[in-house]
Amino acid sequence: MTDKAEYRAFVKRNSPKSPMWRSLFAAFVVGGLICMAGEGVHDAISALFPALPDEDVGSWTTVVMIFVGAFLTAIGVYDKIGRVAGGGSIIPITGFANSVVSPALEYNREGVFFGICAKMFVIAGPIIVFGIVAGILVGVLGLIG
Amino acid sequence: MRAGRQSFFAEHPIYLRSSYTIVGPKEGDGNFGDRFDTVLPDDLWGERSYEKAESKMHREAVRGAVCLAGCDADGIDVCLAGDLLNEISASGLAMRYFKSPFLGLYNACATFAEAVIVGSALIDCGMARTAACSSSSHFASAERQYRYPLELGNQRTPTSQWTVTGAGCSVLSSVRPTTEDDEECRTHFKEKMKAMRDECMRAASAEDSECGKGGGIENPFAKRGGDALERMKHKLLRTLRPASLIEPDCDLAYRRTHIVKITGGTLGKVTDFGIDDESNMGGAMAPAAADTLIAHLEDTGRTPGYYDAIVTGDLGRFGTEAFCYLLSKEGITLDNHFDCGAGFFKPEQKTFQGGSGAGCVNVVFNGHIAKRMERGELGRVLVIATGALLNKDTPLQKENIPGIAHAFTAESEPYV
Repeated sequence: MTDKAEYRAFVKRNSPKSPMWRSLFAAFVVGGLICMAGEGVHDAISALFPALPDEDVGSWTTVVMIFVGAFLTAIGVYDKIGRVAGGGSIIPITGFANSVVSPALEYNREGVFFGICAKMFVIAGPIIVFGIVAGILVGVLGLIG
Repeated sequence: MRAGRQSFFAEHPIYLRSSYTIVGPKEGDGNFGDRFDTVLPDDLWGERSYEKAESKMHREAVRGAVCLAGCDADGIDVCLAGDLLNEISASGLAMRYFKSPFLGLYNACATFAEAVIVGSALIDCGMARTAACSSSSHFASAERQYRYPLELGNQRTPTSQWTVTGAGCSVLSSVRPTTEDDEECRTHFKEKMKAMRDECMRAASAEDSECGKGGGIENPFAKRGGDALERMKHKLLRTLRPASLIEPDCDLAYRRTHIVKITGGTLGKVTDFGIDDESNMGGAMAPAAADTLIAHLEDTGRTPGYYDAIVTGDLGRFGTEAFCYLLSKEGITLDNHFDCGAGFFKPEQKTFQGGSGAGCVNVVFNGHIAKRMERGELGRVLVIATGALLNKDTPLQKENIPGIAHAFTAESEPYV
């Protein structure tokens, strides 16, 4: 049989590659559109509730975008957007909502405890862990400085 | 009879008595869409989960093949089955239905060839007269098993393959079928299927009534608790979406002119060429397929031209390229090669490399190749089913992905 290293080189050279520029472009456009929608929500909230301080408007925008992401996941639209956009729809907070809701939907059939609750964070878990660790580090640094 | 290091020839004739296939909707739109016995309009088939649906498909495929073979529920001497789920649960749960001994097999996507080889060996040595060889896979349950939740918005890589939603079963037998038997089984298929289900259900409900329970309609093994809801759901489905609860069907007019025999096979070795990308199964399996083919040719002294077709399991488009590359290094060129996975879906179905899964080679062999052999279009065929041996954790533990490939040979002869 053929030398294994030679075969690995053949596989590396010849296996089909992701179309990088097309993926980058799609991610840029869709990610940008999601952020624009977020800005739109932000503006709408501040127009509807002029008394609300700017920080609270930001929080409410996040809440609305998470809901939209979760809702689009539940009706089976978000995975179709993700198939085109790739990173463009994973990085915004709607993508985070998708990564929590999709396992919850998937493991619904194993029951509430060992299905939904146990498996909900299989994908988002690392993000939450890193978020908390980074939060603590920055908090401690802020305390010192 | 042993031949060479890895191969064997059957000493007695082993006939492919019947074959039966059930596939999902996307497969029905694919290249072989019109060759399958039953195409489901809904890949849940009225079940609560995709795993249950896969098990039901497996069960119905075996039932269909057994009915087409003209056997009773207990007329099969041994059932050989496997699938891709953890602890081959789809097969295990499906086999509750049959009163036959069951051997569970697993060789990833090569399970079907393994089942045919084991079945032929058992029949050849006289341990069994009939063997049902089946395997199944389901896209949604395999995605959950090996990859991510269905609704997660991630991108598939261009090297990825699409797990075929399908189940198929071949009944092998030492008894030569006759045209009269064939006709009888085809015309009475519906009644036979119903009779078999009723027989099993009576047994199930008799057991249940002892502990104050009764049998369900669609699933004889359903628990009584919450059954009212289940029955209501079925009633709703039956009125709103009758297509989602279709019964397995068969082509009544189909008659074969030739009969397929399993004449031998080559058992494959596990080959590890150091591929560690779990989304590039074709690259991981191609060395195993090449290894088995070379071993087969050496053991039997045949040339590739001896066969009318050499069929590989689910290498996919890139895997086929890698397979041909490896063979060309050995000085072998194939002009009669066909890959089930690469040919399964149409390009516009966006499956990148094509189909894969334990059901892929099974439904293509049973639905397409065996039918062509039965019409006399193909005489001698070598089927090499390939599998990638991994689970979700092994790539995370930095293991390579080894491949395996098993081959069996089938020949057709005319009915006399």
